[in-house]
Amino acid sequence: MRSALFRHVRPEQVREITLLIIIVLLLLFFATQIPNFLSGRTFTRVTTAIPVTVVLGVGLTLVVLTRNIDLSIGATVAVVSYGVGTLLANDPSMSPVIVIALSVAIGVGLGAINGVIVAYGGVPAIVATLGTMALFRSVLVTITDSRPVTTARLPDWIVDLNGIRLISLEDLDVRILPVIALAVVIVFQLLLRYASYGRRLFAIGSNPDAAHVAGLPMKRDVFVAFVLCGALAGLGGFMYMARFGNIDTQSAVGLELVVVAAVVVGGVNIFGGSGSMIGVMLGAILIVLVDQGLIRWAAISEFLRDALLGLLILLAVASDTVILERLRLIWARARRAEEESSREPAATAGGEQP
Amino acid sequence: MAERDEEATEQPLSAPADGVAARSADDQADAASAPQPVLEMRGISKRFGEIQALDDVSLDLQPGEIHALLGENGAGKSTLIKVMTGVVQPDVGDIRIDGQPVHIGSAFDAQTYAVAAIYQEPMVFPDLTVAENIFIGHRDRGLIVNRRKMREEAQAVLARLGVQFDVMQQARGITLAQQQTVEIAKALSLDVRVLIMDEPTASLSAHEVGQLFGIVSRLRSQGVAILFISHRLEEVFLVADRITVMRDGRWISTTPRPELTPGAAIRQMVGREITEFFARSPSTPGDVLLEVRELGREGAFTGVSFDLREGEVLGFAGLVGARRTDVGLALFGIAPADSGEIRLEGEAVRIRDPQEALRLGIAYATEDRRGLGLIFSQSIASNITLPSLGKYLSRIGITQRAAERVIAETFRERLSIRAPSVDTPALALSGGNQQKVVLAKWLATTPKVLILDEPTRGIDVGSKVEVHRLIDELVAQGIGIIMISSDLPELLPMSDRILVMREGRQMAILDAKEATQESVLSMAMGQVETTT
Repeated sequence: MRSALFRHVRPEQVREITLLIIIVLLLLFFATQIPNFLSGRTFTRVTTAIPVTVVLGVGLTLVVLTRNIDLSIGATVAVVSYGVGTLLANDPSMSPVIVIALSVAIGVGLGAINGVIVAYGGVPAIVATLGTMALFRSVLVTITDSRPVTTARLPDWIVDLNGIRLISLEDLDVRILPVIALAVVIVFQLLLRYASYGRRLFAIGSNPDAAHVAGLPMKRDVFVAFVLCGALAGLGGFMYMARFGNIDTQSAVGLELVVVAAVVVGGVNIFGGSGSMIGVMLGAILIVLVDQGLIRWAAISEFLRDALLGLLILLAVASDTVILERLRLIWARARRAEEESSREPAATAGGEQP
Repeated sequence: MAERDEEATEQPLSAPADGVAARSADDQADAASAPQPVLEMRGISKRFGEIQALDDVSLDLQPGEIHALLGENGAGKSTLIKVMTGVVQPDVGDIRIDGQPVHIGSAFDAQTYAVAAIYQEPMVFPDLTVAENIFIGHRDRGLIVNRRKMREEAQAVLARLGVQFDVMQQARGITLAQQQTVEIAKALSLDVRVLIMDEPTASLSAHEVGQLFGIVSRLRSQGVAILFISHRLEEVFLVADRITVMRDGRWISTTPRPELTPGAAIRQMVGREITEFFARSPSTPGDVLLEVRELGREGAFTGVSFDLREGEVLGFAGLVGARRTDVGLALFGIAPADSGEIRLEGEAVRIRDPQEALRLGIAYATEDRRGLGLIFSQSIASNITLPSLGKYLSRIGITQRAAERVIAETFRERLSIRAPSVDTPALALSGGNQQKVVLAKWLATTPKVLILDEPTRGIDVGSKVEVHRLIDELVAQGIGIIMISSDLPELLPMSDRILVMREGRQMAILDAKEATQESVLSMAMGQVETTT
């Protein structure tokens, strides 16, 4: 029994299971503190609040796996939602397909700028994307007349998009945006697990020297990671517009902090090489849940919410370096013990046969 | 694979038939008498700044042979490997695969030509599984990984090597020997034809070395050409079919193993002139300064014991992996010893960090100028005074810049550091002058014991002589010097006594007057009996 646990569950997956347990415990805790917390409405609120974070988190994870980071995703969301929103306000007849394609295309373009600077220019990602973060946003302010996009100026279909329910049970809604986010998680989880590109992302972050010696196309792979991250930020920008409707040049400021938190809390190693999209989704759920719970929990001041978010990030990183190392040790020992015990009976059995 | 085996078995049969035609031309006679080499290097030369790393080196590797490469540190073995794996481009010379000239411009090119290398420290991806590690370099597998197929094929590759372990576990959990096996499997999965093994046994236990040799001889029987580099002569003479000796970036000899003895190999490795070096002025060492007894650090070295007297140079000889630098790092507190005793001027001391070492009067000039020695962007003056800032150059935490310049100027003159001024940044200097700044930096701390780790590596002959003259001066002032050098022709005349290390153990302390390059190298390679 015990050895089966060690064989089928990886230390990294313990992280995901722990997150699930924490989420459940947190739900139960809030249920005792907040009247009517365990309700369909809470589900609807949480699921409405996470899609943008999850989609951006998935993109950021691709980059973080390679030992890089993209801080410009919040600015990309702003550029896309404001830019596309303005176009849409001026020409409400644009088809939804074109709107989405345009959002993703802008994201791809901005991601490619990051990718070229980091992968081919050799500029450290934290500096490069901090620069583009400021750049994207100031370009946005300069080239537009800073006139906010409002729900009133947007066509109905996009304003209504956030409210579309696929399933509705009393006040529990399954809306379309969370479903899209879930689909993104599944697609990219599969990419990480089954595509050779996904394997190479892990390899590059896990041991860059070995990746170089193995002849992997590192620059191209890192570039593509930034482009995909930009594309998902573009999609996130579209979802952001659909969710909020009212966009100005200061929209999505600080969004990157929440996304980095979701990624790190979700167990993606900030030094690259390990992590999963499922974990990122759980990380996003946990953060939103804490946030939503704290808003409604009378005992906690509003100001403490940001502090708690910071604390969560620190805890996540600390547990990553300390706890994961321990877990790996335990696993390695268990495996060795298992190998030894399996070798002995095999040897005696082999001796008896002839 | 099957094809290549056929070729190998057909060779003896077809050779006589070729022999008839071969009389017409010498070239063809050569081709017929020996099978076509898989990889052939002709007239390879490579220069790094002032150092001629490779000078007209030629080498060929036959299919199904284990070809050992021998040479002291700095003989050019590593550079030669880098040329073969596309890390370094030769200035002159060509490489042929199956007789065709090729250009190996990158690691990927090397892979295309089925050339792979494994190193002492395996290059695995700790976060990937064993199977993923084996197949990571494959580009021809399409976009989607078939995990079951990958697992089965990984097991099949390991089976070809005669080993078996769980291929779905993460590589971080397996032993070093297993990681090395994974690297060989990775190479094998790419149908490698030339496998370069650089010191593969250095970190393995005796049992694991045995297993590795089992794997290597399997590969040989499968027609792979293996270039085997090891400092353990007994291993080389156990497994190699042919042995090539290099020295000072030059090819010296290539001999079938039965025709070479370990003693002869060592003589070829060392046969270098000593005369060009500076001779020490006669001096008599004074009182015992430093006593070291049974010093050790877990996983690095054990049982190092010696005395160092005032005005004495104690040379540390040994090859890569002898752990001489680790002893230096322990004495300076960077990687403190965990067993044994150190006494300085009769008093027992514990050195836990460099600050403590400096306070006691021990200084260590690193071999790693780039990484640990200099702050490249800063001026000569700031570099020289850095370790002595707290000692006498600052009042209430503020550096006295005038005093700093005076000290820096003094050392610039004394060591004849060639630079426009002491404000010149360190990166603008030549290697030799950078080394002098490193020495000045530690001399400014007025040490009693000075540890010099490879003080003349990578610097020009003129600077070398100046460093030697400086050592002579310091000795006359009564400083005790520990000089770690891989350059035996330099170490022998500069030292009073020589401590020889091999794989973390002290082999002997020799009187430098009686020691010869051969006797020292024999001990460093663990060949005490065979050379006379």
